[in-house]
Order: sequence, then C-alpha cells, then structure tokens
Amino acid sequence: MTLPPTGCLHAPSAILMCSDRHRGASRGSTCAELISATGTGLGATLAPASEPVNDLVRRLRSPDEQINGPACQAAVAYGAPAVRPLLALLAEPDFELSRRAKRALYAMVRYAGRPGANNEARDLEIELLGGLSTGTNASRRHVLWLFSEIGSARAVPSISALLSVAELREDARCALMRIPGRRSTRALRAAFAAAPEDFKYALADSLRQRGEKVDGYPSQKRLPTRQTTVTPSLGKAK
Amino acid sequence: MAGLKTGPSRFVTRRTFLRNSALAAAAIGLTPSGVLGAPGRTGANARLVVANIGVGGMGMTHVFNMLRFQQEGKVQIAAVCDVDDNRLEAAVENVGAGVIPYRDYRYVLERKDIDAVLIATPDHWHAVQTVHACETGKHVYVEKPASVTVREGQAMVTAARANRVAVQVGAQARTAKGAWQTCRAIRNRIVGKVNRVSCWHYANPVDEKPVSDSPPPDGLDWDMWLGPLPWRPHNGRYQPANFRWLLESGGGQIRDRGAHQFSTILWCMNADHQTSFTVEASGRPPTRGLWDCPIDMNVVYRFRNPDWTLEWGQPGNKVGQTEFGNVFWGEHGHLILEWEGGYRPANPEAIHFQLPPGGQEVYRTDEYEDFNMNHKADWFKAIREGHLRPAVDIEIGHRTATLCNLGNLSYLLGRRLAWDGEKQEVIGDPAANRLLARPQRYPYVL
Repeated sequence: MTLPPTGCLHAPSAILMCSDRHRGASRGSTCAELISATGTGLGATLAPASEPVNDLVRRLRSPDEQINGPACQAAVAYGAPAVRPLLALLAEPDFELSRRAKRALYAMVRYAGRPGANNEARDLEIELLGGLSTGTNASRRHVLWLFSEIGSARAVPSISALLSVAELREDARCALMRIPGRRSTRALRAAFAAAPEDFKYALADSLRQRGEKVDGYPSQKRLPTRQTTVTPSLGKAK
Repeated sequence: MAGLKTGPSRFVTRRTFLRNSALAAAAIGLTPSGVLGAPGRTGANARLVVANIGVGGMGMTHVFNMLRFQQEGKVQIAAVCDVDDNRLEAAVENVGAGVIPYRDYRYVLERKDIDAVLIATPDHWHAVQTVHACETGKHVYVEKPASVTVREGQAMVTAARANRVAVQVGAQARTAKGAWQTCRAIRNRIVGKVNRVSCWHYANPVDEKPVSDSPPPDGLDWDMWLGPLPWRPHNGRYQPANFRWLLESGGGQIRDRGAHQFSTILWCMNADHQTSFTVEASGRPPTRGLWDCPIDMNVVYRFRNPDWTLEWGQPGNKVGQTEFGNVFWGEHGHLILEWEGGYRPANPEAIHFQLPPGGQEVYRTDEYEDFNMNHKADWFKAIREGHLRPAVDIEIGHRTATLCNLGNLSYLLGRRLAWDGEKQEVIGDPAANRLLARPQRYPYVL
C-alpha cells in the first residue's frame, strides 16, 4: 500500500477521501464510499497488500461499469504494488480492459507526481521499469509515455535500450525528451552516434532542443512529402 | 464532377507535382499581395492570396467565407489542403477551377505566391502548422483553441513576432455584436463590480460505441492525421470530428466552447493582463470507450488584483436558456451572455445599455453582420494596416488556451495548480511543469 499523502496519515479510506477530491468520484461520493459500495472493504485496517490489489484487478476485470468504473478511479491509492498486475492488464487483447488499466496507471503516476511524494514516485517508477521489457509493443509504448511523466535518471538506461527498436524508438525518444538532466541528453547523444540514418534526424532535433550542437542532419520539419490523389477542378472558378 | 481521383495521379512524382502546381498558379495569374504594397506590407487595395488548411467541419465555413471575400475581390483562394482526400475533393468542387489541392500543408507553405493561410485542423496540429506558416512569412488565421500545451502557445507567439505576421485566433466573439454589447455594458458597470463569472455547458459525450482498431478509411492519410501525436493504429472513434473528445487532440468542451467563452469573458472583464491565477478542477471520467474527456467538469480559477473568480461548469449553474453561456455576477445584479454573443444576440439589457457620461467605449471591427466574416475582416485589416495585431491576436489566444489547458491539467493531476503567468510555470510543482510541453513525433515538430 502507498504511504499516505501529507495530511492524511490514517486509514486507507482517509487516503482515498483526500486523493479523490479532484479525481472525479462521481457526484460528490468519495472513493472510500465507492469502494465500500462495491464491496472492497479496505476499511481502516490495512489488509495484506496482495489481497486489495487482487481485488482491484478483479473489479477492473468486471464487465459491469458500476464496478470497473469506480475501481479505475480508486486505483490511485494502491501505488507501486498494483503496478505489475496493471501492466499485465495493459497488455490484454480486450481493448476495454486494456484502456481501464492504462487509465488506472496514468492516474497513479499523476498522483505520485504530486509535490512532496518523492518516495512514492520512486517506488512507482521502479515497478514500472518491468513494463519496458515485457508485454506487447503497444503496452510498452504506453509505459514509455508514463515514464515521460514520472521518469528520472534511473529509468534512462531502460528507455534508451528501446531507441534501437524500430517500432518503439520514436516513443522512447519522446520519453527521454521529458526527462530532465544530463543523463537523458547523453543517452540521446549516444543513440545518435549509433542510429540508422533515417532516425538520426529525429535525434538531432532532440539534441538541438536541448541546446546541443549537431553537425549535419538539418531539420526536415517543413519538407513536404505526402501527395494527394485529388486533382484540380477543370470547372469554373466560383 | 470536379476533383476526380484518377489512376495516374496516384503515381505522380514530386517533381511533376510541383511543376504542375506552379503551372496552375501561373495560369491563373496569382501574385502575392506584397508585390503590390510596401516591403513587408500588402497594398491598401491588394487582393490577398490565401489557402485553406483543413477543410472539414469548421474548415468549410472558412472556405465559404473566403469564397464570399473572393467574390468581393478581396482574396484569391489559391489552395485547399486536407489529409482526407474525400474532404479535399469536396472542397475543390466547392471552390472550382484555379484552386490546387494538397494533402501535405508543407507544399502550401512552399508557395511564394500565397500570403496567408486559414488553419482548421484538429487541435493537436494548430501550433505546428501555425509556427511553420509564420516561419515561411504567411499570415495565419488559426482555429481555437490556439494550442494544446502552454509551450506550444509560447512558440506561436514567438514565431508570429519574429516573422512579423498577423496571427488571428478564431474565437470570433471579440468581433461579434452580441459580445461587444455585453463587453461595453460590463466594463461600464451595468451590474457594478463583477466578482464572479460562471459558465454553464452540457456534458461531454461518452463513447457509447467503442470499436477495435481498424485500417484507416480509403483516402485518409492516418499518419498525417496523427501528425505530432504518438503513433497508434487507426480507430474509427478518433475521426471525423470525434477528436474533440480526446484530451490530447481536442480537450473536450472546455477547450472548444471554453476557448470562446474565456476569450469573451477576459475581454469583458478587461483582464487580458491578469495572467496569473490558481486553478482547481474536478470531473467525472468516462468508464468505457476511447474518449477520455471528463463527462462532467467543474473548474475554478481565482484571479487577484482585482479579485474575481471564473467558474467553468458542466453542467454548471444554467441560468440562461441555450446550450451554453455565462453569467457576470456583480454588486448590483447579474448579466447573462448566451453562447458567446456570436450566434445569439446579447441580453436586452446589454443591447439597450447607454454609455454613461465619461464611460469607456469599446472598439470593434464592424464590416460584416456575420461574425465569422467580421473576424476575418478584422484579420485582413491588421494585415492591410500593418499593425499585425488583430482582435484575437495570438498572444490573447495563447492566454485563453492557457486557461483551458491548465483546467484540463488540474483535472488530470487531481490537484490545485498555482500559475505564474510571468514565468509561465506552475509554482512548486515539477511534475506539472513537465506536462506544459508534449514531445512531438518527428518530423511534425515545432
């Protein structure tokens, strides 16, 4: 279970009441109420971590929107222990289930990114790293964008490794662009040296945006390439 | 039928294509208007050569407006552009002979004979296309909201100023009669000092018919539709028009109608300079489907010196009769503005408001009764007169979009944000500041 946020140092239900104020619990109900109503029963005494998480997954898998919707909203409070099960759901072929997992993961990342929650963010980031080496390319693409929001220097080597995967390299480049610090810049520089010619232009652009000097590989951003099949009218001008 | 698809044209080479385009332009005798005016300025009676980029929905309104201006001898439509050949074909058919169709807007920007472009693409394209157009010296009319991130908006302002072009954002109310009547009434204290403005709007829709990913329809260039967005397979619930219900590409009603309303409210409150505020949002997320905009949403912005509060509500407190609007709550009563004073008239109290002695008049371009036409006339005027500051100059459009975008950001992050308008950053929240920019897929970058 996650550490309570500042000002909510009591039961998990209190954590939820604090965290859901902006998370959109419907029509004024708190996440604690929603969980209670859907039979989670987290209560004031914390159950072993695995059981609440398993229950969260069960509720997310439910086809009933009255159950899976509140579960999706309440996921923010489960933190790092819920990441791996959610990553597994993210790679599921059922697109609605995968979407619920994605939304739950984003909610967790954004909640953990709040000021003063550094340890929570660190724990979440460490768990998310597993999502870069497993799952489908589509799920790994989502994980890369999650890292763009919460990733630190710690995640740079794992993200950089995907710069050589053709289907994921552009998302990996974008994720690194959002991670501050020299380590991500060095990773982009190293990738530039080794990249195939067609990817060097994108990496050069990233490096220039970070104030790095790059020889050659001028911007292609205004170079037209796509042609229509529509032909000009032969009729009268109107 | 105009604009027929033909077999051979699918295999046209770039060289042939450019040659044909150039020949077509030469054949109809297009000369950029600057040739007839002073350096950097169009001549007083010059006819602007324009192109429409994005010709679905609102884009066709712009095409029809340009056709009317063309009939009046004020513009020449040289090109139309869309990533969907079906829409492009319809636009060519409507404009008639002499207009060149393009899929890739960058061909439009290469043409030296084109003075100005009208951009009506999905929101995620606005900033990239505007910045590139400015960099090639084109004046720009871009649909609202100006941008999808704060950093995009800043880049648009910088590009407009650096290249000395006029960028008008299509929040037309500032040139609409109803909003103008409301503005002069509010500024002259018809209800006394206003301390709160509340907006109402119906809910965002839910994707009730989710579908699995599928190949894009014939004629749609999906990669080009996505542009700066991360690549993903096509899904039939993204487009056409549905882009509005995804936060990344449309931002929901707060970034659509909100962009209109916030622009008008800032104008009425004379608050364009109040760039710092706090924002706190809540919302009810959808439980199914591709679309992720909150169904209901409440956002509260608090401004200081002078102190007042702006509230966005879906559904909010509906005081008027129409689908959306806002209320100015003052010391001595309240005044309603339905829609944004464009497609609906002002409240009768505002219409009949008499300026008091020493009162403050408010300027408005009034060449056309139709506010869509009038807003473009105001843009032309800024170009013609060389001051390059239309009614909704990009700086104003950027500030309005910042309200919309930070409202959505507060909803996504689930926390109150304190915005420093001078530094253009969230105070004390590094994770929020990271989201003020969104990395763009190459080569669709600013």
